[in-house]
Amino acid sequence: MRNLVTVLLVAALAGCVAAVKVESGQKALGERMVVTLDGAWNQINAPGLGPAQVWTMEGMPVDQLLIYTGLKTDEAIHAERSDGNTKSFKFRSGMQPDEIVALFEGMLTRDGSSFKLVKLAPATFGGGKGFRFEYGLTRKVDNVQLSGIGYGMESRGELFAIVYMAPRLTFFSRHETRVERIARSALVKG
Amino acid sequence: MRRRGFLRAGCACGALLIPGLGRAQALSDWQPPTRFARPDISTDEGGLWAMMDREETKLRRSPFTIRDSDLRGYVHDIACRLGGEHCSDIRVHLVRTPLFNASMSPNGMMQVWTGLMLRVDNEAQLAAVLGHEIGHYLARHSLERLRDAKSRSAFAQFMGLFGLIGAVGQLATLAGAFAYSRDHEREADSIGLALMRNAGYDPAEAAKVWDNLLLEIKAKPGGDPASSPMFATHPPPEERKETLMRLAEASPGGVTNERTWQEKTAPLRHEWLGDEIKRGQHEESLALLKRMIERTPSQAEYLYARAEVYRLRAKENDLDAAIADYDAAVALGTEPPQAHRGLGMIYRLRNQSAAAKASFERYLQLAPEAPDFAIIKSYMEEDRT
Repeated sequence: MRNLVTVLLVAALAGCVAAVKVESGQKALGERMVVTLDGAWNQINAPGLGPAQVWTMEGMPVDQLLIYTGLKTDEAIHAERSDGNTKSFKFRSGMQPDEIVALFEGMLTRDGSSFKLVKLAPATFGGGKGFRFEYGLTRKVDNVQLSGIGYGMESRGELFAIVYMAPRLTFFSRHETRVERIARSALVKG
Repeated sequence: MRRRGFLRAGCACGALLIPGLGRAQALSDWQPPTRFARPDISTDEGGLWAMMDREETKLRRSPFTIRDSDLRGYVHDIACRLGGEHCSDIRVHLVRTPLFNASMSPNGMMQVWTGLMLRVDNEAQLAAVLGHEIGHYLARHSLERLRDAKSRSAFAQFMGLFGLIGAVGQLATLAGAFAYSRDHEREADSIGLALMRNAGYDPAEAAKVWDNLLLEIKAKPGGDPASSPMFATHPPPEERKETLMRLAEASPGGVTNERTWQEKTAPLRHEWLGDEIKRGQHEESLALLKRMIERTPSQAEYLYARAEVYRLRAKENDLDAAIADYDAAVALGTEPPQAHRGLGMIYRLRNQSAAAKASFERYLQLAPEAPDFAIIKSYMEEDRT
């Protein structure tokens, strides 16, 4: 999280950050995933981001929606750092839902933030059998307490997922329903 | 008067830097300075104190600060025994961060991270680290460093001395531990040992802290202690350990208070072990847990934690090792419910459905409010079909 903020800040200062409007309606994400949006979002493009698409309603770092559109085995779920000191969290085909959630937990706590799983249950996502999780995150860099939800599923050995987080007060509840609708609309082509 | 006291202390500390037995001799002669008065705000030191006061206000509100008043009071008492006359100037804050670190800023704000509390075996070992930090405080090393920190980058490193929440986020960085000079570290070691001895602790425990930390660093792939940020500006660890041992031999005896330490930290140990597991530094965690299990074989929490690390690492033979540790924890009868969850996961992976079902059932029975209750139920149903 802190890395993402740093990347965005540095990129913004260098004039490399682009916020692109994502229009409402049906939207193809990657080669195999389609979602339907009932409102516009902002997609953040900057060097050093990835592999997830980063969307926001309120602006970074207030809220963010990470969208994974077909992560393959041995690919990290976060942008790789070159310092060699930080553990990478990599997806493997065949991972169970609890293991995938642990990947997200690892990614979100690399900066010392604190993650608390609230609920993990089976759910339909992308038109297939997946899972849904709820979590709380206390961000180390500024002590802000966030709430989050995520959905995921594996299809043909690739990971499709969306993970949303926003400050627990005001912002999360403002956009939670919208994110749930995106998750329910998601379709992954077989 | 204050300046004179500081100079006296400085001279005494300087004497401690004489190599060999001279140091041990100086250890017995060392006298702490008198209490520091609050510096004028218009001075560089006054500005530093004001800045640290603001950081302390943030720290008090931080959700990472541990509110357990019993443990806080206990650690504060240890710091007070070490600080002596300076006790009333020391404020201890316990911070939930799974790394080995403590720091003390010039205004008397002391931070003790949970990764340190997990790693020390007894009160004396914690006192060794706190005494070292109080040593920096008494010798006012941070002021010297501030005056050295002329460049912006050096200033950033200087801020890292105090383990500030905002400045220290990187788990890979042992911030707060590497920005003093080697001479300052040697001096703080010596003062810390003198404080330990004065407080009645066994000074021999100080060298063990570094010994134990070295075990973890060496266990890491490519784990060369010399290249560890922990030792970037610290004296070489072997030198440090030997010096501390030699100093301790000159004034043997004292208490460790191991039982009290274990009792006081027991309520939070499960949480700290969970944070350690989540660091994902499997080799370091295994070295730590191996040592803890050898020391306290009847502690089911440690066996469970090591089993989890093996299960998550999942290298060759790791799952067998995990099962052995889970089983040992269960045999003790004080295992956390998650031990059964871990067993169920491994049995499921190995297509041992009946064993997986039994373990999952036990887990859900013991932890009906578990956040992953529904997904575990779904695993059981999948395995049945």
